[in-house]
Amino acid sequence: MQDMQQHYNYLLVGLSYVVAVLGSFTALQFALGIPLARTPGQRWGSILAAGTAMGGGAIWAMHFVAMLACSMGAQATYDVVLTAISVLLAVVVSSLGLAIAGSLVFRWSNLLAAGTVMGLGVAGMHYLGMAAMLMSTQVTYDMRLVALSVVIAIVASMAALWLAFNLRGRLQMLGSALVMGIAVCGMHYTGMAAATFNQGGTLPAGFEQGVRGDHLGGVIAIIVMAMLVLALGISIVRQYRRSVLSI
Amino acid sequence: MVSQGLISGGIMAELEVRVISERREGLLIELGRVVSEHGHVLVRQRLSPDERGAGLTMVLRGPETSRSALEVALGAHPRVLHFESSWGTAEKHGPPVPQEAADAPVVAWAPSMAYGLGMPSGADVARVERMLPSLAKDYPRIFPWLINLEYAVTAEAREASLHLAGRRAGAWVFRRHFALGARLAPADALKRIVVPALRELVAVELRGEQLHVRGCPLCQPGGLSGGRFFCGFIEGLLADALAMGEPSANEVSCHCHGAQECVFELTA
Repeated sequence: MQDMQQHYNYLLVGLSYVVAVLGSFTALQFALGIPLARTPGQRWGSILAAGTAMGGGAIWAMHFVAMLACSMGAQATYDVVLTAISVLLAVVVSSLGLAIAGSLVFRWSNLLAAGTVMGLGVAGMHYLGMAAMLMSTQVTYDMRLVALSVVIAIVASMAALWLAFNLRGRLQMLGSALVMGIAVCGMHYTGMAAATFNQGGTLPAGFEQGVRGDHLGGVIAIIVMAMLVLALGISIVRQYRRSVLSI
Repeated sequence: MVSQGLISGGIMAELEVRVISERREGLLIELGRVVSEHGHVLVRQRLSPDERGAGLTMVLRGPETSRSALEVALGAHPRVLHFESSWGTAEKHGPPVPQEAADAPVVAWAPSMAYGLGMPSGADVARVERMLPSLAKDYPRIFPWLINLEYAVTAEAREASLHLAGRRAGAWVFRRHFALGARLAPADALKRIVVPALRELVAVELRGEQLHVRGCPLCQPGGLSGGRFFCGFIEGLLADALAMGEPSANEVSCHCHGAQECVFELTA
């Protein structure tokens, strides 16, 4: 079998990082409200909103923007069920990680657990997303690079969560979003470097029924717009609330 | 339930308070006890449901002199999530009503555990309350207001009033800029909350666990120390920011006593 080279559109690679940062920024805006929640409903609302923005925006949308950036010389579609599960996994695991990290009092044990859960969520989504790809190639992995990609995701997630919950001021949300973007992208591109695509002969079953990349592009555009609106909306609401706080 | 005594001598004031609590059960009895302890009587009350639990509106009457303490006691009561009050002079038994007392300002705050409002005993609460909106409006150019406050209150009430103003301002700044995030260890809270907040007001450096303030306008050589404001400000900032312990700030040395800098330290 012949190895196929991966070629990247660097504009889309840059865009994938921007999407990851934007998703993380939106998610962390919600997540920082978790410790301030007064009722279980508010707490779980914040957790779910943060998890959805992180899982659906920062991780999932970033992954597929990055996949659109990558040309492997073979046409690919995406298995609908596995793709849907990959979104769900990213949202659930991100919510869990942020729920652990969002306790009122900071603890290193919580950060370790939350970072591990988030990192595994990022990695799990990525490899599930890869498994959802339907193309006439076979994918093999360099397991050392796979392990490295998981470590990058865990360590960078921990760093981002620490920044988000422990810093104050400008660095708090922007800094943590930039680092979380590194976690997601670092994991993804290391994971892609771990993959070798071998030329196969036949298209897999279900190829025709799979979602095409250009359709995913539309979904991603909607997600990105939603994240932008949310991030802006939360900022405006917070600013308003600050301005009307009585002394 | 409520004492009917103490309705003679001094200025009697009518006070309307509204509190919000998580539960209505026993609320009136518990707050009635506080009202009674401060020499006020309950004229009428109304309990109503609120999205956070229950809202209780009480019209109280009692001596003007204990009104401030009563407000603070009610605001700091552990059952109270939110407190607001408005008052006016109801009847007069004795000297003429001062203009300040004839006004009917509205005071609203949450209890101490939530927003770091402590009650330094002896503070001129009414004057501090009247000054606070101006202080908020002009923040961070607040020193003229604080200097005015120093001169407006009696010598006995000066330090406590500055402390109260500091606590309220600190708690307000915390809620505006630093409330998002987890609670911190004292050293981290000093570095990430207190220093940036104080830098808006004065030149400050954190050396070890001590805060060194240079050129404080409230502490001029040979004058009186305004350090209690900063102690209150630090305590207000950290009331809801520390992972454990209640913050207490002390002034170790003051520029007004000849030291080069005012130095503060935190115990939690």
